[in-house]
Amino acid sequence: MSDELEALLLERAALTLEELAAGCCVEVSWVVARVQADVLHDNPPTDPALWSFSGRDLLRLRRIRALERDFDANPELAALVADLVEELDRLRTRLSRAGLATD
Amino acid sequence: MEFKDYYQILGVARDASAEAIKKAFRKLARKYHPDVSKEPDAEARMKEVNEAYAVLADTEKRAAYDQLGHDYHAGQDFRPPPDWDAGFEFTGRGFSGAESAEFSDFFSQLFGHMGGQGGGFRARGEDHHAKILLDLEVAYRGGKRAITLRVPRQDARGRVALADHSLNVRIPKGVHAGQVIRLAGQGAPGVGGGPAGDLYLEVHFEPHPRYRVEDRDVYATLPVTPWEAALGATVKASVPDGAVEVRIPAASRSGGKLRLKRRGIPGEPPGDLYLVLEIHLPPADAPRARELYETMARELAFDPRRNQGG
Repeated sequence: MSDELEALLLERAALTLEELAAGCCVEVSWVVARVQADVLHDNPPTDPALWSFSGRDLLRLRRIRALERDFDANPELAALVADLVEELDRLRTRLSRAGLATD
Repeated sequence: MEFKDYYQILGVARDASAEAIKKAFRKLARKYHPDVSKEPDAEARMKEVNEAYAVLADTEKRAAYDQLGHDYHAGQDFRPPPDWDAGFEFTGRGFSGAESAEFSDFFSQLFGHMGGQGGGFRARGEDHHAKILLDLEVAYRGGKRAITLRVPRQDARGRVALADHSLNVRIPKGVHAGQVIRLAGQGAPGVGGGPAGDLYLEVHFEPHPRYRVEDRDVYATLPVTPWEAALGATVKASVPDGAVEVRIPAASRSGGKLRLKRRGIPGEPPGDLYLVLEIHLPPADAPRARELYETMARELAFDPRRNQGG
């Protein structure tokens, strides 16, 4: 067992563009194209040098990348599916909050 | 090590065309998509399907696999002969090295050295991703957790096999479901002296018998008696970070919510804790209890159905 490691909570503005690209196993240009196609929820500044991302952005872009890869989906369609999956998650959470099973 | 029949996993014939393989993969990718599938083992099946597709959709890997595996069937004990892959050149395509690190030992043994060291270049290691299940207590207080991940390790011959990697992690307080935490330098080792990648952990909570969590807000049921709800009362309630005295206003109704501000998961801003009132009726199982119910029936002009018509 290794020494104790400090875990960093990724909230808003936690990741740079390069870190986000590495986290998604893609080139920076792939991320730039997706951000400029408005597939993330927040509209970033025009200049990519000013961009920063959250842990949720990382999860969303990884999901979009897998959808594009697995189904040859275009970015907008993959983003639409990601929207639906996120909405499904929210509704499942609310069902469980209300004490209702989600199966 | 068991032989994996990738054709069987995708449900296609050994002479299936590239188009048929792609079609079969997409059908299964939809069926076992971990975000929506209701299949009990969806995540494991999706990994298996991805692995089969990573091999069969790649011309070089498929050719090597076909040559090696034509006498084997699924589940049969299997050891790749030395230098079985001489004459083939594998390139990483479709799935990154970090993604294929999640594939089976069988895959790692066969194709794990693809894109390995060589050429004397220097590169940062790839980032790795995993999910971590935490309990609500960690969200409130932070704490240490031991986690074990399966990671690829390269031996002296450049072959890769999966090995357990245990980490002692200090989790900061304030984590909530769907968030990501980063462990710097705990991803794949760098190449040629490059820095290691990072490890990203997506946080999920163990289901809790009493608490339900939505973002940073926490919900719990607070059982109360009819007279506490009707007359108002101050009662003791246990909450994730201890116990509190809460005032139940008079004329409260079942399903009504009491909000304890800033007593949800800590953060900027912290979440709230909601206690949802649930009125419990005392059983009429003793003469005195029955008598009290009969008195209420006689003396209270109460009809819960009066607004329903009929």
